[in-house]
Amino acid sequence: MYNNMGPQPGMPMPQANPQPNPFGNAFSGPGSGLIRSGLGAYGEKIFGSSSEYVQSNITRYFSDPQYYFQVNDQYVRNKLKIVLFPFLHRGHWTRISEPVGGRLSYKPPIYDINAPDLYIPLMAFGTYVVLAGLSLGLYGKFTPEALNWLFVKGMVGWFLQVMLLKITLLSLGSGEAPLLDIVAYAGYTFTGLCLAVLGKIIWGYSYYVLIPWTCLCTGVFLVKTMKRVLFAEARSYDSSRHHYLLIFVALAQFPLLIWLGNISVNWLF
Amino acid sequence: MTKDFAVPPVVFPSGGSPAPGANVQQRRVPTAPPYQPPRPSASSSIPFMSFDIGSASATQGGPFGGAIASSSSFGGGSASFDDEEPLLDELGIHPDQIWKKTRSILNPFRINQTVHKDSDLSGPIFLYLALCLFQLLAGKIQFGVILGWVVVASMFLYTVYNMLAGRNGNLNLHTCTSLVGYSLLPVVILSAVSLFVPQGAGPVRFVLAGAFVLWATRACSNLVVSLADGGEEHRGLISYACFLIYTLFSLLVVF
Repeated sequence: MYNNMGPQPGMPMPQANPQPNPFGNAFSGPGSGLIRSGLGAYGEKIFGSSSEYVQSNITRYFSDPQYYFQVNDQYVRNKLKIVLFPFLHRGHWTRISEPVGGRLSYKPPIYDINAPDLYIPLMAFGTYVVLAGLSLGLYGKFTPEALNWLFVKGMVGWFLQVMLLKITLLSLGSGEAPLLDIVAYAGYTFTGLCLAVLGKIIWGYSYYVLIPWTCLCTGVFLVKTMKRVLFAEARSYDSSRHHYLLIFVALAQFPLLIWLGNISVNWLF
Repeated sequence: MTKDFAVPPVVFPSGGSPAPGANVQQRRVPTAPPYQPPRPSASSSIPFMSFDIGSASATQGGPFGGAIASSSSFGGGSASFDDEEPLLDELGIHPDQIWKKTRSILNPFRINQTVHKDSDLSGPIFLYLALCLFQLLAGKIQFGVILGWVVVASMFLYTVYNMLAGRNGNLNLHTCTSLVGYSLLPVVILSAVSLFVPQGAGPVRFVLAGAFVLWATRACSNLVVSLADGGEEHRGLISYACFLIYTLFSLLVVF
């Protein structure tokens, strides 16, 4: 029922794609129908102008989420390998870019293993909530309200991670990476976290090995990503500040992941 | 004294009606001959059918007379009691269809997707009530929790499926909720069976829960992929999302 919303007059998106992309443009297709019908309606009320103006501005701050879901099985498997064992990744970490309609944009995740996606973070977050509920239940303290609080805790953790990356970017003078990119990179920490919680369920003492391992892996992954991909847009190259910030990002993973992995009824601690 | 109200003429749906002039000019007792509702041919003893406009308007005059006149004559003037639709049909609940759909989920090895083509929400409501009933028997009052989780789970599956399928995806929320609801049947059976399995986190409960969760996942993901376009090459990804949903429900049952 969304397909007839495709060709709209005055759409600012480029139509010429160098390869046949079945996933189409930003505001056509059913997934983006959610955005269009939701935000387009509010756009009239909030800005009082036409919804095309709102849509073009929304794309600037909140890039097309459809791009992040162009994944397949093989990509998911390889990406999980990269996130969980980042030092085994032999290739480079830069994203492949392609010129699309005069602007430089990155290839979608299917074609580029270094591109961020939103499917893995979403599923990892869900797995974290389910596994945390399972571990609560094994200690006999499971209630549905406790699960709701675990969901909130996970959201807060994700938000803190996003803030960390965003502040690192901003303190270098450029915060121009798309917000969803940062949200995706922040969400990858939940994969390692799920592994740690799973280890805790299976055998209690393995947790004390898995948590430092996960913190290290997440730190290395984020540092390598930030170095290549996000700092490409930094204006000035200030070597020592770069390195201090990267070390700070890696070290900040430890308290964050230890807090997220500590699953008890009192969600704040 | 009489007041002239600009009342539009009341038109009765069938049969004779009092002269429109009477209603336009005054809202008092119409001086036109009272409207006689047709007496039912069968000697039914339903009392309201023998209601008489004349007596009604005589006893309560004024502004109520017009209202009662229109309502009772509408009741008497429209199709008689025998011609009304059965209640379940009018509500859109078809028990034989619900039973057919539920039975199709019972077989975990062969998914019959033609019977699920038109989605309905009454089957899922019935299964939701059954799940809440078995949870109640186990001592857990979780009506609101389960309803909230079903809603959130179907929105989650809807978003994930349409995002993954891209331009070709055409799953709509009604179908998604219907499929998630019907695939709750294994969880309902799990909660019924776990009433008889001894309490405590023994391995039996987990193995049982695991088997039923896998059954529900298989049913839901097969149905979703076969009923909406664009999901074929993302089967594994979608079935992982379904697996998460049903593990969540089984947590409610097991613990």
